[in-house]
Amino acid sequence: MESSLRPVAIIVEVIVLMGVIYSLFLGVKLSAFDFGLEEKYQRFIDWVFMIVGCIALVFFVAHLFSFYPRISL
Amino acid sequence: MDSLTRFWTAQEVYIMKVFLPIILGFLVIFIGLLAISVLSFWWRHYRLWFLGKEENRSDQRATRLKTLLAVTFGHFRFWKELYPGTMHFLIFWGAILIFLGKIVRLFSYPVGLTNPPQNIFKYASFVSEIGGLLVIIGGCMAVYRRYIVKPSRLETKPTNTLIYSWGAVLLLTGYFVKGYRIALIGSGVVPDWLSWAPVSYFISRFFLILPNEPLNELLVWHRVLIHALPAFLFFAYVFITRTPLQHFFLSPINVYFRNLKPKGVLAPIPNFEEAETFGVKEVSELTWKQLLDLEACTNCGRCQDVCPAHLSQKPLSPRRMTQNLKDHLRREGPKLLSTPPDQHQPEAIMEKTVGEDELWACTACMACEEACPVYVEQIIRNIDLRRYLVLVETKYSSEVRLTLKNLEKSNNPWGASRGTRAEWAKDLGVKNFAEVENPEFLFWVGCVGSFDARNQKVATSMVKILRASGISFGILGNNEGCCGDPARRIGNEYLFQTMAEANIELLKQSGVKKILTLCPHCFHTLKNEYPQFGGEFQVIHHTQFLTELISSGKLKPTKPLNKVITYHDSCYLGRANQIYEPPRKILNSIPGLKLVEMERHHQRSFCCGAGGGRMWMEEHIGTRINQMRTDQAIETKAELIGTACPYCLTMLFDGIKEKGKAETMAAYDLSELVEKSI
Repeated sequence: MESSLRPVAIIVEVIVLMGVIYSLFLGVKLSAFDFGLEEKYQRFIDWVFMIVGCIALVFFVAHLFSFYPRISL
Repeated sequence: MDSLTRFWTAQEVYIMKVFLPIILGFLVIFIGLLAISVLSFWWRHYRLWFLGKEENRSDQRATRLKTLLAVTFGHFRFWKELYPGTMHFLIFWGAILIFLGKIVRLFSYPVGLTNPPQNIFKYASFVSEIGGLLVIIGGCMAVYRRYIVKPSRLETKPTNTLIYSWGAVLLLTGYFVKGYRIALIGSGVVPDWLSWAPVSYFISRFFLILPNEPLNELLVWHRVLIHALPAFLFFAYVFITRTPLQHFFLSPINVYFRNLKPKGVLAPIPNFEEAETFGVKEVSELTWKQLLDLEACTNCGRCQDVCPAHLSQKPLSPRRMTQNLKDHLRREGPKLLSTPPDQHQPEAIMEKTVGEDELWACTACMACEEACPVYVEQIIRNIDLRRYLVLVETKYSSEVRLTLKNLEKSNNPWGASRGTRAEWAKDLGVKNFAEVENPEFLFWVGCVGSFDARNQKVATSMVKILRASGISFGILGNNEGCCGDPARRIGNEYLFQTMAEANIELLKQSGVKKILTLCPHCFHTLKNEYPQFGGEFQVIHHTQFLTELISSGKLKPTKPLNKVITYHDSCYLGRANQIYEPPRKILNSIPGLKLVEMERHHQRSFCCGAGGGRMWMEEHIGTRINQMRTDQAIETKAELIGTACPYCLTMLFDGIKEKGKAETMAAYDLSELVEKSI
C-alpha cells in the first residue's frame, strides 16, 4: 500500500543526501586549499563540484523514486 | 522464548550483519586516522609554536588544571554573554553525551549487555538521544545568530557553513538509522524504544518500509553507511585540516598555559647591553605561548566587542590583529622551518600584517583579555611590537617623542622642572620622608598628582585625610621621579628600566617599606613590576587605604553629600589588580551618596582612553574614547562621576566639558569626596 507521503519522504531524503554531498565536496575543497592549493583553481573546482553535484542529484532522485519504500506503518 | 527476547534476538541480526562489520572496519581505519592526526598536529601546529622563544608556563600545575576543567566543562568565561554561552554549552555537552552514549553501546555488545539490553545500554541510548537533541537546539541557536542576526563581530567563512551543514547531516542520519530500525518493527514496537529513544521513535512514525526482511536489512545498511562514512570523514577533516573546530583541543591547551601573573605585567628585556635586537620584529621573536595564542583564537570577536579603540572607530580590532598574525605565522612559519637559520629572511610583522595606527590605538586596558573565553593574551604582544618600533626603528609620533624626551630629561612626562615637583605641597607643610620620625607610609604622589592642577587637589585631599586620621607619612618631594609606566607602555623598555632602577635605589636608601599611591598606574608598576628589578615594597592604593581607615573607625564620613554618583572602574585598579569593592565601600559609607552603576562596570568597565601611554597622545581617528565613557556616565543620570585614578579623572573631567555637561555633572576622585564628608 503506497503512502501519499512517499514523495514528501523522498524529498526529505534527497535534501539529506544532498547535504551529505555538499558537506563532503566543500570539505574536500577547503582541505585542498588548506594544504596549499592555489586560489586560482577555486572557480574550476566549484564548477566541477557543481556538475558532479547535479549528476548526484539526478541519480538520487531517480534511484529513490524507483526503490524508496512504499509501505507505511 | 518470550516476545521481548525474540525481539532483541532479531535486533542482533542488525548488530551482527550491519553494524559490527562497519564499526570494526572504521575502528581499524580510525587508528590510522589517529596516527595521521598526531603527525598533522606536530607538522602543522607544534613545530610552528616552537619557532618562538622559550617561556616558562609549567608552574602551578594544579591551578592550571583547575582552570582548564572549569573553563572546558563549566564554560567558566562563556557565560559572560548568555546567548552565545548557552548555545555553546548545549553544543558542547550534547556532543559529549552523544560520544559517551556511543562508546558505551559500542562496547556493550562484546560483553553481552545488549540481549536483552541491560540498563546501562538503555541509559547510553537515551543519553545519546538527548545529546543529539541538545546539539540540534544549540546548533539552531548558532545558525540563527550567525546567519540571521549577523552580529558585526562574527566573521562568517565557508568553513563555518561547512561545520553547520556537516553537523546537521550527521545528526539527522544518526537519528534516521535508529528510526528506521524502530519503523521496521511496525505496530508491535517494544515500549522500551519509546522511553529510551524518544527522538528516533518520533522520526520512525514517518518512515516507509520495504516489503521484506532482506531488503529492509539492506536499507539499514545503506543508512548506516550514509551516517558512518561522513562521520569518519568529518573526524578526518577536523583532525587534519586547520578548521576552526580544532579549537576543541587548541583552546584547552591555551587555557592550561594561561598567564597566572597579574594582568598587564610586562616582562623586562633581559641582558639589555648584550641584546642584538629589542621587541618583536618577526614571528620567531614572539614566545611559543604567543604563537599558541594565535592558533587558539576562535575568532569569536568578544575582544572586539569590548575594545574601546575598536568601538571608537580606530583601526584596531584585537580579533582581526590576532587572526592576521595567525595567517602571518602560517605563511612565514613553514618558510622559516625549511631554511637554515643564517638564511632566514622572514617578513616583518609591522610591514604588512599589523599597521602602525592599529598598534598605537591600543590603550592596554586588558578588556580584550578579560573577555576572551580561551585566555588569549594581547597586551604583552602589542607592547612587544611597540618595543621594536620604539627601540630599534625609532618610529613613533612627535607626541611620543616629546613625552619620552621629557621623561628622560625631567623625569616627568610634561618636561616640567624637577625642582617644581613638590610645589603643590609647599603650603601644606608636608614633610620629606627622610625628615619624618617613624613614618608609616611613603606617600607616592605620582606625576599627575604633582604637576596637573586638577589632580593636585586630589593629592591635597589625601594629605588632609592622612592628617585627620593621625597617620605619619612623608613624600619624596623633588626627588620623586616618574614610576616609568608611560615609558614602559609606550615601548621604551630601556628608559623604563633606567627609571625603575633609579627609583628602587632611592626608595631603598630612604628606608621605604610601605608605599601609598594615588595613581593605579604607579600602584601597578611599583607593586607588580618593580620586583623584577629587586624592588620589593608593600604597596597600597589610596582606595584600599581609605577603606581600611573607614572600617577601623579612624575615619568617619559624616557630612551628607546628597548626590547620585556613578563609579568608573579604572583599568589598572580593576582588571589589572582586581580592586573593585574598596572604592564602592568608600562611596557607600558617605552619607547621602546614592551609587548607580554604569552598564559597563567591574570587569567590563570601559577604558577612559588614557592607558597604554595614550594619555600623552592625541586621538586623530574616530570618536574620542573619553567622550564615549562620559556618555555612558551621562546615561545613568548621575550628578557625579567618582574615580580613583588621576588619568581617568583628567579624561572624564575633560569629557564632561566637551559634552557641555559641566553645569550638571562633575568628576571627583574618591579621596576628594571623603574629604568633603569628614
